[in-house]
Amino acid sequence: MKRKSRIAIAIIAVIIGAATTTALLSVSLDVNEKVSHEFRKYGANLVVVPKSDTIEVGFPGVNFGSITEQRYINEGDLWKIKSIYWRNNVLGFTPFLYQVVTVGEGENEQQVILTGTYFDKEIKILEPYSTYDKTIFQTGIQQISPWWEVKGNWIADQNDTINCMIGTVVAEKLDLNIGDTFEIRYRENYSDSINKTIYNLTVIGIFETGGNEDNQIFVNLQVAQNITGRNGKVHTVQVSALCTACPVDTFATEIEEKMPYAEGRTVKQLVSAEMDVLNKIQNMMFLITIIALIASALAVMTTMITSVIERQKEIGLMKSVGAENKRIITLFLSEATIIGIIGGIFGYLIGYILAQFIGLSVFTMSITPRLEVIPIVILISIGIVLLASILPVRRAVKVEPAIVLRGE
Amino acid sequence: MTEEIIKVENLTKVYDKDTRVLENLTMSINKGDWTSIMGPSGSGKTTLLNIIGCLDSATKGSVFIKSTEITKLNQTKLTKFRRENIGLIFQQYHLVPYLTALENVMMAQYFHGIKDENKTRDVLKRVGLEHRLNHIPSHLSGGEQQRVCIARALINEPKILLADEPTGNLDQKNGEIVLNLIKQLHKDGHTIILITHDPDIAKLGSRIIKLIDGKICADSSCNEN
Repeated sequence: MKRKSRIAIAIIAVIIGAATTTALLSVSLDVNEKVSHEFRKYGANLVVVPKSDTIEVGFPGVNFGSITEQRYINEGDLWKIKSIYWRNNVLGFTPFLYQVVTVGEGENEQQVILTGTYFDKEIKILEPYSTYDKTIFQTGIQQISPWWEVKGNWIADQNDTINCMIGTVVAEKLDLNIGDTFEIRYRENYSDSINKTIYNLTVIGIFETGGNEDNQIFVNLQVAQNITGRNGKVHTVQVSALCTACPVDTFATEIEEKMPYAEGRTVKQLVSAEMDVLNKIQNMMFLITIIALIASALAVMTTMITSVIERQKEIGLMKSVGAENKRIITLFLSEATIIGIIGGIFGYLIGYILAQFIGLSVFTMSITPRLEVIPIVILISIGIVLLASILPVRRAVKVEPAIVLRGE
Repeated sequence: MTEEIIKVENLTKVYDKDTRVLENLTMSINKGDWTSIMGPSGSGKTTLLNIIGCLDSATKGSVFIKSTEITKLNQTKLTKFRRENIGLIFQQYHLVPYLTALENVMMAQYFHGIKDENKTRDVLKRVGLEHRLNHIPSHLSGGEQQRVCIARALINEPKILLADEPTGNLDQKNGEIVLNLIKQLHKDGHTIILITHDPDIAKLGSRIIKLIDGKICADSSCNEN
């Protein structure tokens, strides 16, 4: 009975170590992969924005703040993205022009972002790049973000000035359905109630992305440009580059060379804060795992030493009936391996639950069970248990049968 | 023509630097003999048996078994030698409590590198335990446990059997059963060294050696068995 409880204690110690290891591996692998997957889903891995100059305002020694001039990217330059050295790796790009517009009347009046973009646009590639590339490049948000869940239809016609697509949040807030027509109002100055542009749009599709887009109204770029009077201008361009071997940073630099007034930012840079959090959590979990594994090893070692002391008579007996030291070593290491395997399996199961908890509470995502973690965790558990067995086994080997059998 | 199977020369055993358990002891035992060793507690009987049984080492002197000087063997060779040549019968039986009678005997066979369940059953049958094969020690009587211990000693067919007060913990009836078994083994040609406090049991052997303070004080042949 004592022996069984001792084995149980050793297994529990291994379970704790294995569970922490599982949690670390599962969270690290899964969150990393899910974040990468999100990036891939996101489509674009490069964002082009205009360079902005900041002007400091104030007297010498007294700073009143800064004014940042609003700048744009010229729509006419967008084709140049397809003129860089790595142009064949540019799968698609789409511009965005944002403007806050007003929807509804009186109490129901709401401010919503109107976003102009390409849905499925034919871009003409100019000379000399058109000579060895296709002259027409089909691109737009459908290429960049094919995962959007759309009820109804995409805006198919690049010259469509009547229809719009709205995010699910907008649809809910404004109580809009497919086929509904609604009015948007745009004022250059919010306080200017006279000079305003009124425009009617019909909902052709309602989409869900899970991101900020769900709060926006999407129209063809030219519609947004017309309403806001920013013809030929865009705020940002999202670029989807196929880049398994090539450096995305090089894309950014090349685009900057083609459009000196713009700068390219990789999505990796944009999500560096999130990656920092992940790295910090990984480091912390790595430390906890190391501590947990050391604690497991110590617990197993103590338990096994006690077991060896208790089983001295048995060991002495085995030696007296002919067991060589290698048999005694094999016996204890086999027991240790079994403890490692059982602890590893249960540790994996508990660790997976722990990983789910961490995933949901820290990253708000569930962790997918990963089969490759199982052998790793079991091997680590066995390794830890075997390491912890060195001292107890040495002690077992030193047992002298004559002394033990005499009862000393 | 008698053949010498065990030869002990000037054997000395000292524990903790100054506790001399055996002092310059010299003796020899012939093949097939039953030698009884008697003596008061602390006279060195068990130590002598342990050294001959390759369980303990000598401080000085030599022990030869079948012309192998066991006092010069390393631990591994000593274990192998014991496994192949010596069977041990303990007063306390020393059975593994969670193994059945069959498994306890098979354990010795296993360390010998053989697994032959039928042979184990035969040996247990020989000691009259064919009906108790799957019982763990706590479910066996003292006599039955001792018979398992004898079966374990016999399983690897050793020529020498060392018994340290084999009936010391048994009642008269079970003691007789065990002694009859040992008598049979002696008849079968085993060389037996048996430690006992009981003069009647000692007389069953062909020779009685009396030890006092690690020295032989009497060595007589008995022709009364």
